[in-house]
Amino acid sequence: MFKITLRTFRKLSQLFFLALFFLLFRLTDYSGLDEIPYAVNIFFRWDPLVAATVLLSAKVLVSLLLPSLFVIALTMVFGRVFCGWICPMGTLLDGTGKVIHAPAQSGQSLRSVKYVLLGIILVSSLFGLQLVGYLDPFSLLVRGFTLAVDPVFNLLVTGFFDPLYRYAPQWLSNISEPVYGVLQDSVLPYKQTFFQLSTLSGCVLLAIFALEKLEKRFWCRNLCPLGALLAIFSRFSIFRRFPKQACKGCRDCAPNCRMNAFDSDGRQLRHEECTLCMDCVDDCVNQPSRFRFAVPNSPMQIDMSRRSFIGAGLAGITLPLLSKVDAAHTLPRPFLLRPPGAADGNEFFSRCVRCGECMKVCIQNALQPCFLESGYEGMFTPRLIPRLGYCEFNCTLCGQVCPTGAIGRLSQSEKHSFVIGRAVFDPARCLPFADQSPCIVCEEHCPTYDKAIKFQEVTVVNRQGKSVALKQPYIIPELCIGCGICENKCPLPGDSAVRVVRAGKQSEEDGFGY
Amino acid sequence: MDRRNFLKQVAVWSGGVLLVEPVFRITPDLLAAETVSPLLSVGVGKNYANLVASVLQPLGGMAAFVKPGDQVVIKPNIGWDRAPEQAANTHPEIVKAVAELAILAGAKKVLVFDRTCNEERRCYMNSGIKPALDSIGGRQIQCSYVDERKFVPVTIEKGRSINKWSFYKDALEADCYINIPVAKHHGLSRLTLGLKNTMGVIGGNRGKIHRNMGQNLADLNTVIRADLTIIDATRILLRNGPQGGSTRDVKVLDTIVASSDPVAADAYATTLFGLRPEEIDSTRAAAEMGLGEMRLNKIDIRMV
Ligand code: SF4
Ligand code: SF4
Repeated sequence: MFKITLRTFRKLSQLFFLALFFLLFRLTDYSGLDEIPYAVNIFFRWDPLVAATVLLSAKVLVSLLLPSLFVIALTMVFGRVFCGWICPMGTLLDGTGKVIHAPAQSGQSLRSVKYVLLGIILVSSLFGLQLVGYLDPFSLLVRGFTLAVDPVFNLLVTGFFDPLYRYAPQWLSNISEPVYGVLQDSVLPYKQTFFQLSTLSGCVLLAIFALEKLEKRFWCRNLCPLGALLAIFSRFSIFRRFPKQACKGCRDCAPNCRMNAFDSDGRQLRHEECTLCMDCVDDCVNQPSRFRFAVPNSPMQIDMSRRSFIGAGLAGITLPLLSKVDAAHTLPRPFLLRPPGAADGNEFFSRCVRCGECMKVCIQNALQPCFLESGYEGMFTPRLIPRLGYCEFNCTLCGQVCPTGAIGRLSQSEKHSFVIGRAVFDPARCLPFADQSPCIVCEEHCPTYDKAIKFQEVTVVNRQGKSVALKQPYIIPELCIGCGICENKCPLPGDSAVRVVRAGKQSEEDGFGY
Repeated sequence: MDRRNFLKQVAVWSGGVLLVEPVFRITPDLLAAETVSPLLSVGVGKNYANLVASVLQPLGGMAAFVKPGDQVVIKPNIGWDRAPEQAANTHPEIVKAVAELAILAGAKKVLVFDRTCNEERRCYMNSGIKPALDSIGGRQIQCSYVDERKFVPVTIEKGRSINKWSFYKDALEADCYINIPVAKHHGLSRLTLGLKNTMGVIGGNRGKIHRNMGQNLADLNTVIRADLTIIDATRILLRNGPQGGSTRDVKVLDTIVASSDPVAADAYATTLFGLRPEEIDSTRAAAEMGLGEMRLNKIDIRMV
């Protein structure tokens, strides 16, 4: 018979936040309004790890991240309930564990690794190197879903309905099309997206889930730096599990603990590992243990030796130094464009947590993750690739969803004059110059007022020896904002004959651009 | 084969399982068919809904074009993420009025779409066209985004410059195709009017059309020759077309031009900009191919 126990509430809470996570993911899109009416990035804004690293590396308190104080307070009272009751990564891992029958114990403990990772991330961010995006669970999750899972999901569903539409008899597509329509209006993304690094992001996510094969919640126990941070705060928590005196020490509960949080004697819990899943309370035959409020009596031990503590510190100092001498930062990167409203140079790097929200929301699929163009620490930061998608003149969505202000919020009129880059023509390819044939598709699409692309009417002798009247385009640099629609729409095959290069503040910093 | 026979083709096509996409060869017999001087009606007025109705009167009203049970396609210009007063898209009130008249005339279904230049959801929304059509309610009017799967390759047999391009299936299948462009400036072709609006129903790399735009547009219009063209010149964009961006370039004329002859409609609308019909390449090319009449003195112009 179904019994309502504490575990039931925990599961309901997990399902609720998982649903919220997916709902907000879906809502991270253009809705018909210029402003997104929901706090779609809330999971990042209440993430204390994100807040801490941005505070340390950018040396600013980002007010958007204040909700993280709430999670810290929650942890200081109740311990790591966040990991057990809220975190969608934890929930998905629990689900995966069920499916692939994750063992509860693996015999070895790698617990301390997460503290080392946390140490490296925090120390290096103090020296201006932002690494949190590699390991923050929400960054991994949202980015993985944006770059890999969502596009693949859409491809699969479309791949099923498309042949039905194209080749199946009318009566069948008359049934399948409405079903497809309903899916499009509910669970499917608005359109098929394409991303760089989709394979890498997908594999990283897959690997995290595959680790579940080793033991339950492998990621949470051993790797998650957010879990490590919350563990430290949970030292002060006053809501803990206490076995009753009656506990005979049967130890039935200990081997099943998903966090392997029990001491070797099987009675005491390491509170900093406990995620309050309530399994041990519910499963105890005699119900002799329960959670209650009490002042902590047992001092907690963070599983970290002095040596690994120092090691983490040293690594945290060395990595920023190594990144300073990476030639990726001195090499001019003329085509590396940042989103509109992006903070300049270093500040952008230290604020961006590689969460992928901006890439998710971009209505032109224009924002793409960097690979190694800006050093390994720039991996997964957003760049605008106009040939894949241009920046829509009236759109300001990426600045609205960025949780850290790496991309600033722009009003529509600020956006209209924000310089992302500047377009430059290549007359060796541009049709009216190189081919003596009419075109100026770029001029037609240029959205600025006045148009940054103008044309000159000339008469030239073409290859056939005929004199023809032509309109040859040119750029007015002061008017160009580098939205890239010209580069995107240029009808030439392959590279465009007009390309946007870095300009504005970003390029002043690396001494390049114009 | 003309558009109407196309329906049969589609039935055959979707009846069996085909692995290769079929090619449609469409060569309307309409070319050079009209010998009498075409009728063209021009109206000026502030109430656009009434204006549309009265401009259609001399042409026999909407009933002369839409028969009960028809599948009607209305093709406005929704190309740009611009507001109605910026004159880059067809005015939403006009689109709405035309759609309502088509329903009144007994249309079974009215499809409204455009392959936009900016992001389609923003264009449909901020042009005001989707909200206007949604306000009518009912299931007969479908204002939907272009579905890439519906572009089918067509062999343009009468084409002089292009002989193959993909067209939107709904446009090819329509019993009645109503073109409602907005009249505005365009850098390359000087103006964009009805014939140019056909670019919104074709697939592929449209930038290529620009290489010989006038003739290419005429060629495309041998496949889709609008049954009715209603040119929105309620406000016209004089500079910085085709998308404008400032009301400084906009002149309010409160004028609508309608004709069953697409070339005549374009020819007349050209004069609103102080230009002569032959100055627009597409008008000239289309007239040469017999798609319609561009000599103003051969057009029966009715002012309402
Ligand atoms: S890059 Fe441009 S189009 Fe993409 S979300 Fe940002 S503002 Fe919108
Ligand atoms: S710039 Fe993009 S990836 Fe970086 S923090 Fe902002 S939204 Fe996230």
